[in-house]
Amino acid sequence: MMKVVALAGNPNVGKTTIFNNLTGMRQHVGNWPGVTVEKKEGILEYKGEKFLVVDLPGTYSLTAHSVDELVARNFLLKGSANVVVDVVDATVLMRNLFLTMEIFEMGLKNIIIALNKIDLTEKKGIEIDVRKMESVLGVPVVPLNAKEGIGIEELKKRIYEVANRKIGTTPIMPKYDPAVEREIEHISRALKRTELAEKYNLRWLAIKLLMRDEEVIKLVLRYLGSEKLNEIMGHIGEVEEKYKRAMDLIIASQKYEFIDSLMHRFVRYKHEQGETFSDQLDRILTHPIYGILVLLGVFYFVFKFVFLFGMPLQGMLDEAFSSFGQWLAPHILNESLRGLVVDGIIAGVGAVLSFFPLVFLLFLAMAILEDVGYMARAAVVMEKIMRKFGLPGKSFIPLVLAFGCNVPAVMATRTLDEEKDRIVTMLVNPLIPCSARLSVISFLAGAFFKKNQAFVAVSIYIISIFLALLMACFFSRFLVKGESSPFIIELPEYLVPSWKTVILHSWERSKEFVKKAGTIILAGSIVIWYLSNYPVPIGTGLSYSEKLGMFFEPYMKLMGLDWKAAVSLLFGIIAKENVISTYGIIYGSESAIVNAMTPLQAYVLALVTTLYIPCIATIGAIRAESNSKWALVVVTYMIGLASFVGIVAYHLGLVLGF
Amino acid sequence: MGKLERVLKLIEEGRSITDISRDLDIPLSEVEGMIKILESMGYLQLIETGDSACERCPLKSICPGSCIRFKGRIYQFRANKARK
Repeated sequence: MMKVVALAGNPNVGKTTIFNNLTGMRQHVGNWPGVTVEKKEGILEYKGEKFLVVDLPGTYSLTAHSVDELVARNFLLKGSANVVVDVVDATVLMRNLFLTMEIFEMGLKNIIIALNKIDLTEKKGIEIDVRKMESVLGVPVVPLNAKEGIGIEELKKRIYEVANRKIGTTPIMPKYDPAVEREIEHISRALKRTELAEKYNLRWLAIKLLMRDEEVIKLVLRYLGSEKLNEIMGHIGEVEEKYKRAMDLIIASQKYEFIDSLMHRFVRYKHEQGETFSDQLDRILTHPIYGILVLLGVFYFVFKFVFLFGMPLQGMLDEAFSSFGQWLAPHILNESLRGLVVDGIIAGVGAVLSFFPLVFLLFLAMAILEDVGYMARAAVVMEKIMRKFGLPGKSFIPLVLAFGCNVPAVMATRTLDEEKDRIVTMLVNPLIPCSARLSVISFLAGAFFKKNQAFVAVSIYIISIFLALLMACFFSRFLVKGESSPFIIELPEYLVPSWKTVILHSWERSKEFVKKAGTIILAGSIVIWYLSNYPVPIGTGLSYSEKLGMFFEPYMKLMGLDWKAAVSLLFGIIAKENVISTYGIIYGSESAIVNAMTPLQAYVLALVTTLYIPCIATIGAIRAESNSKWALVVVTYMIGLASFVGIVAYHLGLVLGF
Repeated sequence: MGKLERVLKLIEEGRSITDISRDLDIPLSEVEGMIKILESMGYLQLIETGDSACERCPLKSICPGSCIRFKGRIYQFRANKARK
């Protein structure tokens, strides 16, 4: 019968590369019995002897909280392997040795450590004395660079030697503080002279019982019955009462300290505590003050970049649509049809589509920031601010999504466990400017603030985010109270962006903008054109849209706006881009719009568009995810907030002389 | 109290990964390692981010923004497990 070699280790340590190096093409892939976890087996041949190599699922510990951990643990526990190769990543040794100690504690004696990625340690300033490591841990250690196949022959040799008992191993056992050791000893004694003692390592069983491992509790119940188990568990309860903390955490923590003390004997860091340039950069980018300044700076330059390169292209596209309309007009003889196509569809959809370059460039900039790894750092900075305003930690994710679109962001609130957290997040979510509102902000900033486009756009984003935080603070304090649920963001490595991926992602996102222009905006433009030309053309004061707008005009005047803004905002409820298409249809060209409004009015309109009622799809999503009451609350408070901000901004602007 | 317990306590207090690294004077990679261990013990839970929410969205075919991709992993502190 073939001897079995098990490959254990953390995920992403190079286990599969080693498996491939050992087995070559002689592999079989299936599933572990009863679970959908992939099982890979292959044949290793060395010195005429064949070994069955089994690749165990990658895990960080053997606590049996996941199916992967359970599969790996049961395989090792049953003694199915003649040799266990524990693959560890030399660049992050600490977390890897935690699993190593868990394997050692099982009482296995046939272990080899494959110290992979040894070639990267020098770059990270880590010096590992392999021989010392071997003597401290009590098992053979083989340094490897599996990618290049370096060290594989040595590993094969060690597997052969351990499998044939040509070398012995004495794995070091983690030591806990005397009180914990006493408890381990006490439980071990209770398990002595039972059937369990013949099959399992008693120390391991005792530790797992202390940690209240459910699988081990079931095992003990099966072998010893409920009376004996209750006696043991009763004792564990007394121990926990004494410590006032969960024993699994105490044991894991002490095991970690034990590994730390071992590592000092064979690992040296060239620079202080292994801190890299990336770590130093992270400290600045996530700093509570510098981090915010960097964030503001980055977004200012993003908008600067978008406007600098996007506006000339936008102007060209706008001109192209306008010329196309002029060229097409004489070819359509029917006056109504000509009006619909040229003044309705081309003017409306064209006005929106001309912003395609800006949308594409913004997505491009965002994709670069994501690919470089900056967005996760920005998320840490934002999360700190959000927490100060009382937003439940987890609601951060839906709010980040809202910058793309508010609908999936509302749906993402499902990830929040607490109903109250969900409601608060849903209520403030529409205040985060989505990409549809970005086109309105870009349109108004680009047309009215030629010199300060980026500054104006960033200022509207800042005001919206600030108001979202303020409202969150208000809602969580007065309307819906809930317990906050902390979370932590792991930072990805900084990477040079892959241009292919970045451009592909930007295109994927921005092409949806074109799709929307061809569907919702097109339909909206037709309706707006009809309402503006029937029963009589616009300008007479009798068209449907004028009548509608005039009804709201007295209210709009408080914000310095007129009936046209009222009509635009009304159609903007269907889709925010309709604000631009409505202006395009009413005025006919961008220059006419610029002549009809002051920069202050344009700024107020951009603010109000960002803050008033969310689009109909978002309202529907809020209703579906909560109920009509909360959808109504959102609509009501946002109208109130937008009006208040609009009135204040307009009058403040007048006072300041804008 | 050991480092692992202190890291969990700081996460519960809402500290960021860089804050924890600074407070305990350990490299970021070590804090990340402890996060993985705490996740495997059930004290932290990896949260699904953006993509799945967008996949479920009925407007995904006409959505202009799709979703914001998010490269960093987010782990939620599991209060129930910690208070057991």
